Amino acid sequence: MTTYPRPASGPRPPLRAGSHEPAPAVPRRGAGGRRLLVVLFLGGLVASVLPWWLDTPTGSLTGGIAMTTAAGQITGLVAGYLLLVQVLMMSRLPVLELWAGGERIARWHRDVAATLLVAVLAHTALILVGYAGLEGRSPLRQAGVMLREYQDMVSAFAAAGLLVLVGLVSVRAVRRVLPYELWHATHLAAYAVLLLGYAHQFSNGSQLFRPGPARTGWIALYVLVIAAWLWGRVIKPLRFNLRHRLRVSDLVTESPDAVSIYLTGVRLDRLELLGGQFFRWRFLTRGCWWQSHPFSVSAAGNDRWLRLTVKVVGRHTQDLRNLDPGVRVWAAGPSGTCTAAHRTRERALLIAAGSGITPLRAMLEELPPNAALIYRARTSADVLLREELDWLARNRGLRVWYVLGSRGDPGPRQVMTPDGIRQLVPDVARRDVYLCGPPGLVEQCRRVLRQAGVRRRQIHLATFEL
Amino acid sequence: MRRALLAITGLAASTTALVVFKAAPGTGQLAREVPAPAPTAAGKAEPAAGPDRKTPSGSPKPTRSAAGASRSASSAAPKRPAASPTGTAAAQPSASTIVGPVATNEFGEVQVRITVVGDRIVNAAALRLPRRTAQSDQRSDQVDSRYSGTVGMVVERQSADLDTITGATATSDSYRGSLQAAIDQAR
Repeated sequence: MTTYPRPASGPRPPLRAGSHEPAPAVPRRGAGGRRLLVVLFLGGLVASVLPWWLDTPTGSLTGGIAMTTAAGQITGLVAGYLLLVQVLMMSRLPVLELWAGGERIARWHRDVAATLLVAVLAHTALILVGYAGLEGRSPLRQAGVMLREYQDMVSAFAAAGLLVLVGLVSVRAVRRVLPYELWHATHLAAYAVLLLGYAHQFSNGSQLFRPGPARTGWIALYVLVIAAWLWGRVIKPLRFNLRHRLRVSDLVTESPDAVSIYLTGVRLDRLELLGGQFFRWRFLTRGCWWQSHPFSVSAAGNDRWLRLTVKVVGRHTQDLRNLDPGVRVWAAGPSGTCTAAHRTRERALLIAAGSGITPLRAMLEELPPNAALIYRARTSADVLLREELDWLARNRGLRVWYVLGSRGDPGPRQVMTPDGIRQLVPDVARRDVYLCGPPGLVEQCRRVLRQAGVRRRQIHLATFEL
Repeated sequence: MRRALLAITGLAASTTALVVFKAAPGTGQLAREVPAPAPTAAGKAEPAAGPDRKTPSGSPKPTRSAAGASRSASSAAPKRPAASPTGTAAAQPSASTIVGPVATNEFGEVQVRITVVGDRIVNAAALRLPRRTAQSDQRSDQVDSRYSGTVGMVVERQSADLDTITGATATSDSYRGSLQAAIDQAR
C-alpha cells in the first residue's frame, strides 16, 4: 500500500484554529429561509386546489355521488401537487440546500411521501366510487370501463401502482431488510410515476382539461420542477466534477470492517466544504458506476485530499474495498447542515455511534475548543479513527468518552439517560448537540437530550438517509 | 412520522371541509331552482333583442356554454330574418326565444333555449349541460354539437324527435324533455 499522508501519521490536515483562536465565523442561516419555503409550499397547495374551488359553485354539490367525486377531484389536485413537490425536494437545488438543508429536506420528503400516498389512494378510490355512482355501476366495473374507454387511464393506474410499490419499499421495517441497491432502483421508478401520471390529469381532470389559467399554470409547474431538477441534478454536478476531477488515490483499512478512501483532484482549495457535510459518490469502475451512495467526508476540508470512511455493510461497500488507485470518482454535493457553521452556541457536544463518527470527526477541527465527544461502539475494534480523536483530545482540548458495549450493557445504559449525560457534560443544556448514528440510537438520544433540557434547535442530526 | 400523520389528518379534514362548504344546504337548492324557469315567460314576451340575453345561471361552466350559444344565436339570428321574408310571414319576421325548463338527470342539469321565427325553429342552444367530469363534458359536447345550432338536428327536424347520441342516453333524454316543453310553449 502506498504511503499517502494520513492525519494520524504524516502531515495533518491544516487546523483552522489554534486552541485559543476565535472560532470560524458563523454564517447566519436562520429559520427565515425555512419559513419562507413552508409558506411557499402552503401557498402552492392552496393554489392547486383553487381551480376546483372556483369551478364549483356553492351549493352545487347535491348528494353523496357529487360530493364523493368532488373529494376525488380535490385529492387528485393535492396529489398532483405533492408529487411535484416531492421531485422538487429531490432536485438538490442549491437554494433548498441553503434554506432548509439536505437532512431536513430528506425528512420532509418522507413526511410528504406518506401524505402523497394517501392522497393518491384516496383520489383513485373516491373517483372510482363517484363515477361508478354517476353511471350506476359497481366501482370494480367502473375501473374496467375507465381502463378501456377513458384516455390515458392505463398509464395513470400504472403510476398509482408504482407509487404504492415505492411507498411499500420505503416503509422503514421493509427497507431495513432490503439491500440499498434494490431500494434505490425502486425509488428511481418514482420518476416514471411523474411521467405516467402526467397525461391523465389533462385528458380527464375536470379542472385541467380545458385550456385556461389552471391548465397553463399546472403545465408551468411541471416545467419549473423539471428545470430545477436538471439544474440541481445535471448541470451543477457536471460543473463540479469538471472543475475538480476527483480520483481515488489510496485506501487505508481502519478496522476489520471499515475502510478510508482518500481522493485527490484539482483546485481542491476552492472546494467549499464544511466538516460534517456529505457527498453522493459514484465510483466509475465496473460494478460500481451505476450506483451513487451518500457518505460523509471524514476529515476537514484541505487543499490536497478528501477522505471518506466507509463501513462495509453491503455489496457496494464490499466492492469499495477493492478500488484501485486512479479510479475516477463522480461526486454530487457537498450537502448537509450538520456543520460547525450551523451551531447556535459556543460549545458543542457530539454523540456518535459506530461509523457515525465520520461526519463528526470532520467537523471537530472547525468547532471552537472545549467540545465534548461521546462515542458509542460495540467493541473497541469498532472504534474508528481513534488515533486522530486522541490526537485532537490532546491538542484541541476535546474531551472524549468511548462508551463501549451493546445497548443492554450497564455502561451505555447509564450514559444514555438525562442524568448520565449531565454527569459527563454538566452544561449540556447550553451546548449544541450533534448526533450521528443508527436511526434508533439517534431517536433515543434525542429524547434523552430533550429531557436533559436541550432545546430542539440546538440538536443537529447528521442523518441523510431517506 | 408524527408530522406525516398530522398532514394526512389535515388532508382528510380539509377535503371534507371544502366539499361540505360547497355542498347544497338541502332546501336552498330547491329555492334556487324555482326562479330558473322564470326566464321562460320573459324570454317569450321579448322580441328580437332576445337572443343576446343571458339566462341567469348559478354555475360558471353553463354560463360559458350559454354565452357561446347565444353568440352563435345572435350571429345567426339576423341572417334568418333576411332570408325568410321570401316566406309566408313576409312583413314582420320577428324572432322570439323560448327557454325550456331545467331537466335533471343523474349527471346534472339540461336546459334548452330555442329561437323561433313564425312557427319555425331557427336555432337551438343548450344553456345547461352536465359538466361535472371531463367524461360527461365530452358527452355533453357531443350532444350539443349534434342537436344545437342553426343547422343542428333540432332545426333540421323541427321537433323533439331526435336520435339518441350513443353513450349519452340520459343527457339526450333530458335535452329532448326540455326541448319538447319549449316547443309546447311556443305553440
